[in-house]
Parts: sequence; structure tokens; C-alpha cells
Amino acid sequence: MKPIGGGKAASDEQLADKLHAERMSLMKGNWLQYIRGIVTVKLIAGDADVFLRDAVAELELWDIGYAPGGKLVFRVTVPDFFRMRPALRRAGARIRIMDRSGLPFQMARLSRRKTFAAGMLGFIVSLYLLSTLVWDVQVEGTERIPADQILQAARAEGIYPYQWSFRLKDSSELASLLAQRIPGISWVGIDKQGTKVTITVVESAKPEQLPPNTPRDLIAKTDAVVSRIVAEGGKPKVIRNERVRKGDVLISGIVGEGDRTQAVVAKGEVLGIVWHEYRIVSPMTTRVKGYTGLEQERSYLLLGNRALQIGGYGQPEYDQFEVMPDTRRLTIGGWTLPFGIYKELEKEVQAEDHKLTEAEAKEAGLRQARAEVLRKSGMGAVIKAEKLLHEQTENGKVILNVLFEVEQSIAVERPIVNAVPSVPAPQAGTEGNDGR
Amino acid sequence: MPRVVRKLRNWTARILDLPQDVVLDLPRVTMIGGIQLTVENHRGVLHFAPTSLRLAMEKGELEVTGHELVIRNIGTDDVLVEGEITGVLIKR
Repeated sequence: MKPIGGGKAASDEQLADKLHAERMSLMKGNWLQYIRGIVTVKLIAGDADVFLRDAVAELELWDIGYAPGGKLVFRVTVPDFFRMRPALRRAGARIRIMDRSGLPFQMARLSRRKTFAAGMLGFIVSLYLLSTLVWDVQVEGTERIPADQILQAARAEGIYPYQWSFRLKDSSELASLLAQRIPGISWVGIDKQGTKVTITVVESAKPEQLPPNTPRDLIAKTDAVVSRIVAEGGKPKVIRNERVRKGDVLISGIVGEGDRTQAVVAKGEVLGIVWHEYRIVSPMTTRVKGYTGLEQERSYLLLGNRALQIGGYGQPEYDQFEVMPDTRRLTIGGWTLPFGIYKELEKEVQAEDHKLTEAEAKEAGLRQARAEVLRKSGMGAVIKAEKLLHEQTENGKVILNVLFEVEQSIAVERPIVNAVPSVPAPQAGTEGNDGR
Repeated sequence: MPRVVRKLRNWTARILDLPQDVVLDLPRVTMIGGIQLTVENHRGVLHFAPTSLRLAMEKGELEVTGHELVIRNIGTDDVLVEGEITGVLIKR
């Protein structure tokens, strides 16, 4: 204490008290004491020793020390503060409250700041309310059924954004309701995670839809002799072994007579024998490429789009070779990195002229021709017979003229344009279409 | 504590190899550096000043001297003192 001026000394003491309180307030007490409320008390008059002796036995005091002014300062919980009175009286002490902290005081402070307290409460309430809203509805697993349709059905059952979660029914119940509402669905699962609802849909398997069938005829694709005709729909117009020209009606889509005429989809299988004439030129020497067995490898380091050769220097050069590249890029997960190894395998190749006899050349030519015929004639074609018409050897080549008899499907579809029943005579109608 | 009881306790402590403070209610002083000091088994505060703390013991008293002493915590039989501790003195 400096005996300078009364006012000055008082303010010095106050400042020192404040500093002392701040130093002490680093840790005011444990959480139990915090809940009960902590009072920092200064004994401004009375016998400190007498007070301490009594108080320590009866009450819970902590952080007992002396303020710079020489006065005893201590902390006490709020309930103990009120039970302190007898001890104070016995010691003839007077006190001053320096600081109040802890839950009760904070609550009191809050109750004074009504708007702030209301804001805090409002924040908690609004956070809770917003988290009970459904914010997002997603549909998974749809292919045919548009997601909008499912969302619409879900909306009818009460699943939509900005809906209250507590107004939703039980998810298994909702799923069964939704499954009833949407046709073409075999299973619906509803998964609510927080504010997000995911509707998982399994569509029921449906048979593939066929393209719409309009009434039509089956007509001949080429000139042929019918070898087999089976009509599944419509009326057959030709019989087996009958010669047909390109465009003739094989199975008519117009059935019935007179008033009962009707256009239907002609369906069926018509096989016919078709002739194909081929001129084949087959060389008597063929070049055959073969590996000699010599090979060498070069490896490169790939950096971006540049390659740095790291191996296989000083290799002999082959006259003829084939190169087999092999690129390996470093990947991490689904990412391809711009680094990798590029290897080139160089194999020496030697071409040899292979001489064929006339018979071999002929056979090779025929084999090639047969494959070509079958490829052209479509699925299920069978070579019934082949006739060698002409054979000639010229300039190291064999020239052949061959006639193939192929059994193949000759039917193609043709829509019926001037749809019946207005056509009085179906026969005339179809013939009219054929007129060419 | 009556004399007979004390003698009996002393004997028990010796026979059973027990620490004296447990059996005889002697003060147990734990000091950490010169900054923190715990006294167990005290019998109350006799005097407290920034430079000294005198505690009553079962027999005699114990004085802690130092500067800016603060009783961090005090219970019915233990005290935690912090500050610049310079000495511990036992008077019988």
C-alpha cells in the first residue's frame, strides 16, 4: 500500500484486485462447482485465521490466497456462500463479492438478455425442426418407369420435399403402399437417412415388346423354286416345287372371302432353292507369311505422350518384321496416370511363295466361293448342290465357273398398303400390288 | 489417542510392515518441486498468511513457509498449497 493519495491508492488497489482475480480465474473450479455457481469472496474485515478454521471444517473453500492489499480472497460455491454466515459472524468478518461465475449466474444473465436467450432457443428449435424435414427424395433403380411417375406416387403417399418426417408412415408400410400404387413394379424399398429419402425400385421383368405389326404379305426375295412352305399366319399362295419370280406373293396377308375379308400379318417360313453362278479366279501360288522365330524386345518409359527408350539398344535390323506393341499405364483406382511402360516386340517375318497344284488351287477357290455364298444367303442356308460349269488354267491361275444350288429363306415382308376390307377381291388386290 | 492404543498401533505397523502414516494418523507431506505441496492428515488451519501456513497436526504443528502461498484446495484432512515454497517445518 502506497500512502500517496487516498483516491489514487484506492484505484491502485482496485486494479491490483482485478489483476489478481484474472490470474485466479484461469481455473475457477471443477464442473460440479461450476453448476452450483462459484463466488469469489474477499474478506475486508475480521480475523481471517478464525474464519478459516471454522469455514474449512464446515464448508468447501478453494483457491484461498491473499490479494495484494493483504486481504483474504477465496472461492466458495453458492450454497456454501449462504451457509458461511455463522462462521463470518464468529470471526467478526465482513465480505465483499469480487466475482460471480458458473451456471446460475450465467442463467441469470441470460434471463436479463431476453432476446438473446430467445434467439438461442429459437436456433436450437429451428435446427431441430429443419432436421425433421424431408429435404430430398431420390429414386433409384428405374429404367422403364420414369422417376417422375414414382415421385408422383410417393407424393400421393406423403413422401415429398419439405414434408415433416414425423408425418411419414412406417417405411415398410409406405413401401407396400407405393408398390400397390405403381404398376409394373415388383419391389419398392424406402430408406430414410436423416433428411434424405431414397426410394429403391425393382421393376418387374416384362416380355420384350415386339415392333407393331401391320398387315403384310410375304413375298419372294429372288427367283427360286419353293422347297418348303409353312404358313403360321395368312394364306399360302404357292406350293412346294413351284417356281416363283422375285416379288411374287408367297403367303398373303389377306384372308377370308367377300365381306369377311381381313388383312392380317402373314407369318411363316418359306425356303427355296436359289441358283448362284460364280466365277472364281484362284492363283496357283500363294504368299505365306511366317515367323522365323527371331524376336527382340525394346522397352520405353512413357511420360505423358513421350516415350523414353530404356532398353533394347543396339539390336540388329530385320528385313521384314512385325511389331507387337504393349502399353501398360500406371493406374490408381480408376485414374490413369501419365506414366507407364511401353514395350515393342519385334518379330522377324519371312514371306514364302507357296506353289499349289491345279487341284489344290481349285479346291481353295471353291472353298472361298462356298463361304461367300453361305454368307450372302443369310441364316440357315444350305448348299444343296454345286456344278462346275467351266474350268480353265491360265497364267498360273485357275479360273472356274460354278453354279451353286442353295436352299435358303426367300421370304421378305411387304406391308399391305390399300388395306382391305374395302377390296372386294383379295386376289386381285394382291396381284395389283405385285404388278411390275 | 490413548497411550495403549498408540503402542498397539505402533506394534501392528511394525509387525505387518505397514506405512506409519496409515496407522498412526501422521501427516504425509508430498512436495512437487518448490511450487506445490500436499499435506494429508492435518487437523485444521491455525494461521494462514501469504508467507506462511500453519497447520495443526495430531501432535504438534506443521508450518509451510514461502511467498504468495495459495491454498488451492482444502478438505477436512488434506491441503494443497501452491506458491513459492521455501520450507516445511515441524514443531512438536
